[in-house]
Amino acid sequence: MVSQLTTSERQYALVTLLLLGLGGLAMAAMGRGDPIAVHGYIVLLFAIGLSFVVMAGYYAPEPDKDRLSRYYDDPTRVGIVLSIAWAVVGMFVGVWVAALLAWPDLTFDQAWASFGRLRPVHTSGVIFGFGGNALIATSFHVLQRTTRARLPGQFAPWFVLLGYNLFCVVAASGYLIGVTQSKEYAEPEWYADIWLVLVWVTYFLIYLRTLARRKEPHIYVANWYYMAFILVVAMLHIVNNIAVPISWSSAKSYSVYSGVQDAMVQWWYGHNAVAFFLTAGFLGMMYYYLPKRAGRPIFSYRLSIISFWGITFFYMWAGSHHLHYTALPQWVQTLGMTFSIMLLVPSWASAGNALATLNGAWHKVRDDATLRFMMVAAVFYGLSTFEGSFMAIRPVNSLSHYTDWTVGHVHAGALGWVAMITFGSIYALVPWMWKREAMYSSRLIEVHFWLALSGTIVYVFAMWNSGIIQGLMWRTYNESGSLTYSFIDSLVAMHPYYIARAFGGLLFLLGAIVAAYNVWMTIRQSKLEAAQGKEDADIPLFARDAVQAGE
Amino acid sequence: MELEKRDRVTGRTTTGHEWNGIEELETPIPRVVFFFLGATVLFSLICWVLYPTWPLGSTFTKGVTGFDQRNLVTEQVAKADAERASAWAGKVETMSFAEIEADPALMQPVKEAGRTLFVDNCAVCHGVSATGGPGFPNLTSKSWLWGGEPEAIEETIKVGINSTNDDTRVSQMMAFGRDGVLAPEQISNVVTYVRSLSGAEGDAAKIEAGKEVFAANCVACHGDNAKGSHDVGAPDLTDHFWIYGGDVNSVYTSVYSGRQGHMPHWDARLSPLQVKLLTVYVHTLDGAPQ
Amino acid sequence: MKEFFHRKIERNAIGFVVAIVAVASIGGFMEIAPLFTIQETVEEVPDMRTYTPLELAGRNIYIREGCYACHSQMIRTLRDEVERYGPYSLAVESKYDHPMLWGSKRTGPDLARIGEKYSDAWHVAHLINPRDVVPESVMPKYGWLMRNELRIEDLGEHLAAQQTVGVPYTQAMVENAVQDARGQASPDSNAAAGVAERYGEATHVRAFDGDPSRLTEMDALVAYLQILGKLTDKAYQQAATAEAE
Ligand code: HEC
Ligand code: HEC
Ligand code: HEC
Ligand code: HEM
Ligand code: HEM
Ligand SMILES: [Ca+2]
Ligand SMILES: [Ca+2]
Ligand SMILES: [Cu+2]
Repeated sequence: MVSQLTTSERQYALVTLLLLGLGGLAMAAMGRGDPIAVHGYIVLLFAIGLSFVVMAGYYAPEPDKDRLSRYYDDPTRVGIVLSIAWAVVGMFVGVWVAALLAWPDLTFDQAWASFGRLRPVHTSGVIFGFGGNALIATSFHVLQRTTRARLPGQFAPWFVLLGYNLFCVVAASGYLIGVTQSKEYAEPEWYADIWLVLVWVTYFLIYLRTLARRKEPHIYVANWYYMAFILVVAMLHIVNNIAVPISWSSAKSYSVYSGVQDAMVQWWYGHNAVAFFLTAGFLGMMYYYLPKRAGRPIFSYRLSIISFWGITFFYMWAGSHHLHYTALPQWVQTLGMTFSIMLLVPSWASAGNALATLNGAWHKVRDDATLRFMMVAAVFYGLSTFEGSFMAIRPVNSLSHYTDWTVGHVHAGALGWVAMITFGSIYALVPWMWKREAMYSSRLIEVHFWLALSGTIVYVFAMWNSGIIQGLMWRTYNESGSLTYSFIDSLVAMHPYYIARAFGGLLFLLGAIVAAYNVWMTIRQSKLEAAQGKEDADIPLFARDAVQAGE
Repeated sequence: MELEKRDRVTGRTTTGHEWNGIEELETPIPRVVFFFLGATVLFSLICWVLYPTWPLGSTFTKGVTGFDQRNLVTEQVAKADAERASAWAGKVETMSFAEIEADPALMQPVKEAGRTLFVDNCAVCHGVSATGGPGFPNLTSKSWLWGGEPEAIEETIKVGINSTNDDTRVSQMMAFGRDGVLAPEQISNVVTYVRSLSGAEGDAAKIEAGKEVFAANCVACHGDNAKGSHDVGAPDLTDHFWIYGGDVNSVYTSVYSGRQGHMPHWDARLSPLQVKLLTVYVHTLDGAPQ
Repeated sequence: MKEFFHRKIERNAIGFVVAIVAVASIGGFMEIAPLFTIQETVEEVPDMRTYTPLELAGRNIYIREGCYACHSQMIRTLRDEVERYGPYSLAVESKYDHPMLWGSKRTGPDLARIGEKYSDAWHVAHLINPRDVVPESVMPKYGWLMRNELRIEDLGEHLAAQQTVGVPYTQAMVENAVQDARGQASPDSNAAAGVAERYGEATHVRAFDGDPSRLTEMDALVAYLQILGKLTDKAYQQAATAEAE
């Protein structure tokens, strides 16, 4: 892969890694006794490790000019592999965390293994590690295909992909050693936050520069969504994470916001992280891989327009539905509730647009598990947005908030929508990327599909049950007008559902492992056959010419 | 400028663009979308008129209903209080403990309310079925520190034991070993003696020696026959119930390092009615698991 | 017409970017900015006090261990919550919380008013092994809190950073932070007097973990738990006035 970089790009890489390494060294040296030092060493190791990779390929001959007539897909390939690796890790921790609530002593008395520290490893691992890598990988792929332009350079995409993974590693390792800001979905500390800003600005510039070089007059819908994802996440991240470190050599910082204002900022961020990370980004993915795999045109261009702008506008008002009945002034709650209701319309419009696109291709849905992943994802997207809008209604939220119902809703979206669309897209993308006709085994895709679907259903039903029971138990009054159940009563009632959830999650995890194996074997086969000199012979359409359609 | 193309399946025209093979149809937006958009906007408008919604610089629109979540919950709680008072709680407030406990119809709601209050507030220490745990007394044992009359129980709940309340009950088991009052040998003897009171086997000579130590040092609080004293909250040492455990080590620790249990006071957190409900609940626990 | 407009904007990447940023900024601005300008958002309370250095250190342990993943600190304006946990939470009660810890999941009970509900000894026993005192519990064990010495040498920096973000710590508080942390957990030491002097007579000065000779993470966390809901009396006063009416 280094051999694809020009000499000057290799030099950029080394200089960047040198600077990064020095940064890590400074953190390690200045932060003695503080957890920031651990992160210093991690950064340093990361920089040294990558330097070796670059050095090893440093004297390889320069790539030929010919490359400019092809798309640049190396970062996409690596991104796919990283995404799957994070999926397995993140979901494994998810199953562990689920098991902890059924068998709390599975921490083995280790601080790092306690529920409160592992839970954010799970959430960050799956959302940022699995989801984020998939978004970066697919966005580079989709962007080039729909603009018929090659990425502007070969260094910046690596900076984005690997820099982003450094962020994820620092985040996850931080939670284990107790470094966290406690801001949900924005837990990493100030230095990781600043690093992510650098990465993200580069990501945005790549996007913008590629769009500027495009050979298609119009920007395709998928790119609207990817762009909204990049832009709004940048806005959210920067505003939510403003904090004052106690010193440059300490990991600890204090958020500039406090109390009720902080609550609103955090959930403005948190809700829209769902909207623009877990929704807009993946809608971008769906808008490319679903029509491509189905071989059908998008059902309605106009519907795309109103869904896109509806989502972009309405979502940003809805964050306060996480704060119903709290000390947040009620006027903000009314805004959050009403905009969440209106938000349902563009959400269903997107889901409907996706499903209607399958008209004329339903036989493929039946036979092709890859496409079925995407179809089911669209269904779960519709389901979880309906559920979300319903839960945003104040009286409904009074029951669901604080309970497992929220967790059920989250995973209907996360497993049913985010993970399914990602797996579907990866199954479509991997053969294209590794010049294979198809995945190693379509049987295994089928197996994965059923594991994922049944896992999701078990998980979500368990949590609906436990959540609603929990919520009802907390508010049930007996005839004499006093509370019927104590908190501990509700805790005891949760036990069977926590076991069921762990089981459902295990099924889902097994599916992800099957996917990892299938992808791995596809990649291996590709290499084997390349070695046997059969390269490209009967493999359709690797864009030799960047103007060629087909992938 | 763009060529018109038609989709074979639907017969609709496409927009004329194509991105790496993906096309889009010119399907008009289905009516139903506008219908739902209208409906949700209408719903929102109604909410905005009825409830506080729009910020206006330094204030916000209050909504025509004047609805406020804080006032509402305050009213609901007050209303529930009033309903309970007229249904049964009023009687609890005015009647004596004996009268309440003699009234089965009244005891029904009292026990229901009492149990939830107990499990939400007391069970972390005394256990869901009030049978206690290491360091926390069993309340079903009938072996009371401060007396088993409802008035005594009520007082304990209100002011606590060794709590931060100004009127707290105060009790302390001295640290005979740590403070050097007794020699290790004496402690060992008195421990053997104390354990023998509830039937534990022990060396007869040690028991005899321990008995003397006891008479000299312990009777002031635990009483001549070691039956405890409700005046200083000293436990009965002759029954099978132990707060801190009846094995040699635990009893030795009790005597060597002393004990000072801490029972929080509840007069600031719970209302007089709630304290009374709990008193009756605790007083009528029959010892059987709940 | 609209179609035409959209076709145009689709052809202009910069225009599209600007449009997205503009459309996406409105909602947040309308909801966040007024929270700083509308006075009644946060109640005016004269008796509101700040966390002592020890309590702040405990709060940071609460954050570090992720207790907020299971415990809310926000009693909602709902009858059952008020009857179970106490008066609903007021905005002012988390006024000095950078960041707030309202939480979003109640795997365990709400802790907004846990302060002084139970004894220090109970908290210690519970944190070391929750199932020793509550057999039904699924809370993790936190035995290391009792083993780890509390890190206090940088508490002055913590208070100074808090000052920067607007918490009214005095210069004396910042300068004495380390000493005050020690003093609050060893009531018989010389340092204890200064704590009450700087933070008020009502401040808890006790050997929270039962051992005045060591300053452990347990001391800090228990000190923090025991102050939850006690920084101001406003919520209880409000509830009492409402009852009187
Ligand atoms: C933090 C732990 C804790 C909580 C919570 C607690 N208690 Fe106690 N309670 C104790 C301890 C410890 C004692 C014994 C004190 C002693 O050893 O001197 C005690 C003693 C008592 C006694 C006196 C028993 C006797 O023999 O005289 C009563 C009655 C009682 N508790 C009732 C309650 C009720 C009712 C509640 C709830 C409203 C409650 N307790 C909550 C710890 C607790
Ligand atoms: C100053 C009064 C006082 C004196 C003197 C005293 N005790 Fe106690 N003792 C108490 C009190 C009060 C308790 C209960 C402490 C608590 O529960 O926190 C207690 C508890 C105990 C316990 C623990 C009971 C259990 O259920 O676990 C033992 C054993 C005991 N005393 C033995 C002795 C012996 C032996 C002596 C004499 C050497 C003695 N006490 C002298 C007041 C006294
Ligand atoms: C896995 C979830 C979980 C985590 C993480 C957790 N708790 Fe708990 N906590 C519970 C549950 C469940 C209960 C109720 C049962 C009990 O009392 O142990 C509880 C109860 C409590 C209580 C008693 C509340 C009451 O009103 O009875 C306190 C105090 C508490 N936890 C503090 C903490 C602190 C401090 C931390 C972090 C160091 C923490 N918890 C982490 C689940 C958790
Ligand atoms: C193997 C499958 C999975 C299992 C077993 C699992 C399990 C869990 C558990 C036990 C929790 C904590 C719930 C609680 O605190 O009560 C959780 C939270 C969460 N998980 Fe997962 N999870 C899985 C997959 C995923 C995936 C794929 C995603 C996202 C793409 C995801 C996103 C989240 C989020 C966002 C939360 C936080 C929810 C909240 O705060 O309300 N999970 N998960
Ligand atoms: C119309 C769309 C949606 C609306 C209106 C909506 C609404 C809601 C509501 C009301 C809550 C509960 C807040 C609470 O009581 O604490 C919630 C939680 C959540 N939703 Fe959605 N939702 C939508 C779509 C989605 C989708 C597609 C996902 C994708 C994964 C998702 C992920 C989450 C997550 C992660 C949480 C948990 C937040 C937390 O407490 O940590 N939502 N949503
Ligand atoms: Ca952060
Ligand atoms: Ca949450
Ligand atoms: Cu939301």
